[in-house]
Amino acid sequence: MIKNFFLIAFRNIFKHKVFSFINIFGLAIGIAASLLIFQYVRFELSYDRFEANSDRIYRIQLDRYNQGKLSTQWAAGAAGIGPIVKDAFPEVESLARLRPTNGIVAYKNLEFREEKLFFANDNFLPMFSYSAIEGSIHGALADVNTAVLTATAAKKYFGNENPLDKIITVNKAASYKITAVVPDPPANTHLKFSILLSFASFVAQRGPEVNTTINWDGFFAYILLRPGTNPKLLEKKIAALVQTKWSDDMKKNGWNMVYHLQALPDIHLTSHYMHEAETNGDGKAVYFLLVIAMFIIGIAWINYINLATARSIHRAKETGIRKTLGSLRWQLIVQFLFESLLINTLAVILAFLLILVCLPAFNAVAGKSLSLALLATGGFWTNLAILFIFGTILSGFYPAFVLSSFKPISVLKGKLAATTHGALLRQSLVVIQFMASVLLMVGTFTVYRQLHFMQHQDLGVKTAQTLVVKGPRVLDSTYDNQLSNFRTEVLRIPGVSEVAASTQVPGEKVDWNAGGIRLVGADETESRQYRVIGIDYDFLDAYGLKLLAGRNFSHEMSTDTAAVLFNEAAIEQLGYRTPQEALDKRIEFWGKQYTIVGVVTNHHQESLREAYDAHIFRLIPDAEGYYSIKLSRNSDTWTNTIASVKQQYKAFFPNNPFDYFFLDDHIAEQYKADQQFGQTFSLFAGLAIFVSCLGLLGLASFVTSQRTKEIGIRKVMGAPVPSILVLLTRDFLRPILLAFLLATPITWYVLGKWLENYAFRIPLTPWLFLGPIALILVVALLTITTQTLGAATANPVKSLRTD
Amino acid sequence: MIDLKRISKWVNVGGKPNFILKDVNLEIKEGEFVSIMGPSGSGKSSLLNIIGMLDDSSEGEYFFLGQPVHSLREKQRSQLYKQYIGFVFQAYHLIDELTVYENIETPLIYQNIKSSERQAMVADILDRFQIVGKKDLFPTQLSGGQQQLVGIARALIGKPKLLLADEPTGNLNSRQGEEIMELFKQLNSEGVTIVQVTHSEKNAEYGSRIINLLDGRIDNFN
Repeated sequence: MIKNFFLIAFRNIFKHKVFSFINIFGLAIGIAASLLIFQYVRFELSYDRFEANSDRIYRIQLDRYNQGKLSTQWAAGAAGIGPIVKDAFPEVESLARLRPTNGIVAYKNLEFREEKLFFANDNFLPMFSYSAIEGSIHGALADVNTAVLTATAAKKYFGNENPLDKIITVNKAASYKITAVVPDPPANTHLKFSILLSFASFVAQRGPEVNTTINWDGFFAYILLRPGTNPKLLEKKIAALVQTKWSDDMKKNGWNMVYHLQALPDIHLTSHYMHEAETNGDGKAVYFLLVIAMFIIGIAWINYINLATARSIHRAKETGIRKTLGSLRWQLIVQFLFESLLINTLAVILAFLLILVCLPAFNAVAGKSLSLALLATGGFWTNLAILFIFGTILSGFYPAFVLSSFKPISVLKGKLAATTHGALLRQSLVVIQFMASVLLMVGTFTVYRQLHFMQHQDLGVKTAQTLVVKGPRVLDSTYDNQLSNFRTEVLRIPGVSEVAASTQVPGEKVDWNAGGIRLVGADETESRQYRVIGIDYDFLDAYGLKLLAGRNFSHEMSTDTAAVLFNEAAIEQLGYRTPQEALDKRIEFWGKQYTIVGVVTNHHQESLREAYDAHIFRLIPDAEGYYSIKLSRNSDTWTNTIASVKQQYKAFFPNNPFDYFFLDDHIAEQYKADQQFGQTFSLFAGLAIFVSCLGLLGLASFVTSQRTKEIGIRKVMGAPVPSILVLLTRDFLRPILLAFLLATPITWYVLGKWLENYAFRIPLTPWLFLGPIALILVVALLTITTQTLGAATANPVKSLRTD
Repeated sequence: MIDLKRISKWVNVGGKPNFILKDVNLEIKEGEFVSIMGPSGSGKSSLLNIIGMLDDSSEGEYFFLGQPVHSLREKQRSQLYKQYIGFVFQAYHLIDELTVYENIETPLIYQNIKSSERQAMVADILDRFQIVGKKDLFPTQLSGGQQQLVGIARALIGKPKLLLADEPTGNLNSRQGEEIMELFKQLNSEGVTIVQVTHSEKNAEYGSRIINLLDGRIDNFN
C-alpha cells in the first residue's frame, strides 16, 4: 500500500510541477530560515548554561536611589556587598568577586593593551567550572600578585614556552606570577576575560576597605547558593540586612540601595546596566526573530493548505475511484498525509542545500558565526524533526480531511466542480499571510528609518575626521611634560589641526559615575549622581561643544583646577532652568568644592537609544584616557599623518602600544547590533513576502485555469481584456486589502512598542505604512497578473472547444 | 443474491420530496445477467448505486447474500463490497497517475492481499485480457475501448461474485461495445452475476433479464 501511495504522490508532484515547486520551494525557504533563526536563538539562550553550577549562581546587582528616585543601576555593584552577604548568610556557599580593569601587559619585549583584564578572587575559577590546562585552578588566585592566563593569552605572550611561574607586568607598575592557564572562555558567556589578576593584589594596592565599603561601585559579585536555596527569599534577607546596617545613614542622607539577584543564565539577554562585562544581547530582538521564523514557516504551511485544497477538485476524481475500489476513509487520509510527508521530505532536503549555500551570507548579514558544525548539535535535529513532523501533520491533515470527505458518486458525476469548498478558509489564510507580510514589511521600513535617523542626527559634537589614540598606561612622573611635548609635536604634523586629551570620547558609556554631588550648603539629601568627563583646555573647541553661558577652562585662570563645566541636562538636575542661573554656583564634589564656570550644550555621548545624560566636565589637562586628534579633510594624507603621530607617541611614551581608532567608527559601532538586526529582519521579511507571493501565484494560476471557460464565454460576449483582468484580480484584491486594514493597527502598536526602546526616535506616521503597503500591493498585483494576463488574452475559441 | 424490498429514494427539492426511486422490489439470483433500461432520469443509475452500496436508499430493506445492507455500518459494508462487488463505469474512471498495471492492482491493495500474490493475480488477468503489452502505459495513452478493458479487468481482479456496470459501452464505438458485451457474456457463463445499466436495446439483449424503469418504478417484469 505504501508503495502505491508513494508512487501516486511522486507522480502527482511531477505532474503538477508549478504547484509542487511552489510548495516545496516555499516550505524549504521556511524550514531553512526557521532552522537558522532557531539555531541563532538557541545560541543566544545558551549563554552561561554550560557551567555545572549555572542554576545556582546569581549576580548581585545594585540599584541606587536618591530621594526615592532610581539614579543608577549597576551590573557591578558596591565593593563590600559580596563579603557582607557571604558572611551573613550560610546559604551562600561561595563568593566570586571581580573588578574589571585594563592596562598594558608586558612580558619581555612583548607588550599589548588588554581590555579584558579582571582582578578576580580565588573562588571564581572553580565556581564557573573552569579547568586548568597548566597549574591548578585551586589557589591560583589566592595570593598577592598572581595571574591566570587564558590559552590564547598564554600563546600570545609565551608562544611555546611554559608560562607557569613566569612574571608579567601590568602598566610596568605591578608584577604578577603566572600560576595557571585555563581554556578560553566560551563564546556564550557574558564574562569573557583574557587575563585574571588575583583580587588580593587589588586589595593590597587599594587598601582593605575594598572588602567592606559600600560607597565604591564597580565590583562584580557572583554567589553560589547551596542547593535548595530560594533566591527570592535571600533577596529579601539581603534587603533586610541592608536596612539594619545603614537605615540611619540612608534616612539622614536620602539615599537607598536595593540589591537584586540575577540568575546567571538570564544575564546575557536581560541585563543592560552600568559596567556590564560586555554589551549584552537584546532579548527583544531574539524574540522578534523567533516570531519572524514562525511567520515564515507558517506562511509556507498555509501555502500548502491553500494549494492542496484549491486543487481538491483535481484530486476528487481519484478519491471517488478509490472509494469505489474499496478504500476506507482513513486509508485516503493516510495517503494524502503521505503525500504531505513526501513534499515535506523534499523540502527538508532542499532546505539543507539552501542552508549550505546561504550560511555564509546569513552570517554576514546577521553578524553571527554559525558554522556547519551546527549540523552536529542535537538541538538542530530536534528543531528539524519538530518542523518536519509538525509541518507534515499540520499542513497535510486539513487537505487530507477535505479530500477524503468527498462522496464518490457525486465526485464521479462531476457535481463537485460547482462547490466553493474551502474558499472561505483559503481567503482567510491569504488574509493572515498578508497581515504577516505587512507587519514585516512596515517593520523593516521603520527599523531602517530609525537607524538612518540615529546615524544622521546632529550629535551635538563634531566627530568627523577625528583620530583617537588610546592614552598610555605605562607612566612615570614626567608624564605631564611628556604629554605637553607630545601635543606640541603632533600639532606640528601637517594635517593636524587640534589635539585634545580626555578621559572619554563620544560613542561610549561614561565610566566615571559620581554620586554625592550637590550645591555647597545644600542638604546632603539633595545629592545627585552625574557622569563626569575629564577634559583638557582644548576639548571643547576640538569637539565643537557650544558654550551657552560662561567660559571654557583657561590657561590664564590658575583657579580652574577647581572649576567645572555643566551641560544642560546637568544644570537641570541641579535645579536650574537657565544656564545663567547656574553660573558661578559652587558644588560639593567628593569633599572638595568646585565652581561652575560654564554651561555647554547637551551632546549624544551614547547611542540615540539613550536620553541626554547629566554631564560634568572636570579640568584634567593630563587626562590619560584618549587623545583626540583632528585631521584635515583630505583623507589621502591620513596614512602619513597616522604614521607621524605613531612616531611621536612611541618617542614620548615608550613601552606603550600605539592603539587608535577613528571616532566615526567608534560611534557607528554602537549601532552595529541595530544594523544587524535591521539587516536580518529585512532579509527574513523579504523571504516571508516572497513565500506569500509564491502562494498567491499558485492560487492565481489555479483559479485562472478554473475559470478559463467562463473567460472564454465572456470574451465571446464581447468583454475587453481589461475588464477580464479586473474580474480576475478583484477576488484576490479583497483579502489583501482586508489584510492591510487588519494589520495596520497591530503593526502600529508593535512598532510603537519597539520605538519606545529609543530615547530619540522617529514619529510613527502614516507614510511609514503607505510605502511598504503600496510595495506589497504592487508585487501582489504583478504576481496575479502574470497568471491572469495569459488567460485574458487567450483566444476564446480554444478554451471553449476543449471543454 | 440481491433482495430489494420496498426501496425508495428521494431528495428534497424546495422542501418537497422528489422521488428518484419509489417502492422498488427486486430479486436477483446468483448467475443472472440483468440489464436495467429506461429513459434518462428514470432512476437506473441510482438503483445501480444502491445495489453497489455507493449510495443509501431513503427507505426500504436491502439484503445482499442474506446480509441486511441497510443496517450495516460503513466498515462492514465496505468489507462486503470489497469482497463481492466489482464496478465498471461509463467514463472508465481510471486513476490517471497510475499505470495500467497499478490501476488493476489497486483494489487488491485495499483487500490487504500480499504483494507476491497481487503480482500473480494481475499478471493473470493482463494475460487473459491480452493487454500485457500495455501494462506500463498510463490511461491517457490508451484508446477508449482499451481503457474500458482495463476498467473491467480492475473490476474483476478481486474475483467478485457481482459485476455492476453503468453504461459500460456508452463512450465506445459499436465494435468496441460489442467486444465488451461478448466479454460480459463470457464472464456470466463463468458464473459472475452481472447487472448493467444501458440505453441500448441491443446490449440489453445480451442479458438474461431486462428490467424497465420509468419514473423510479419498475415497469414490468420479464
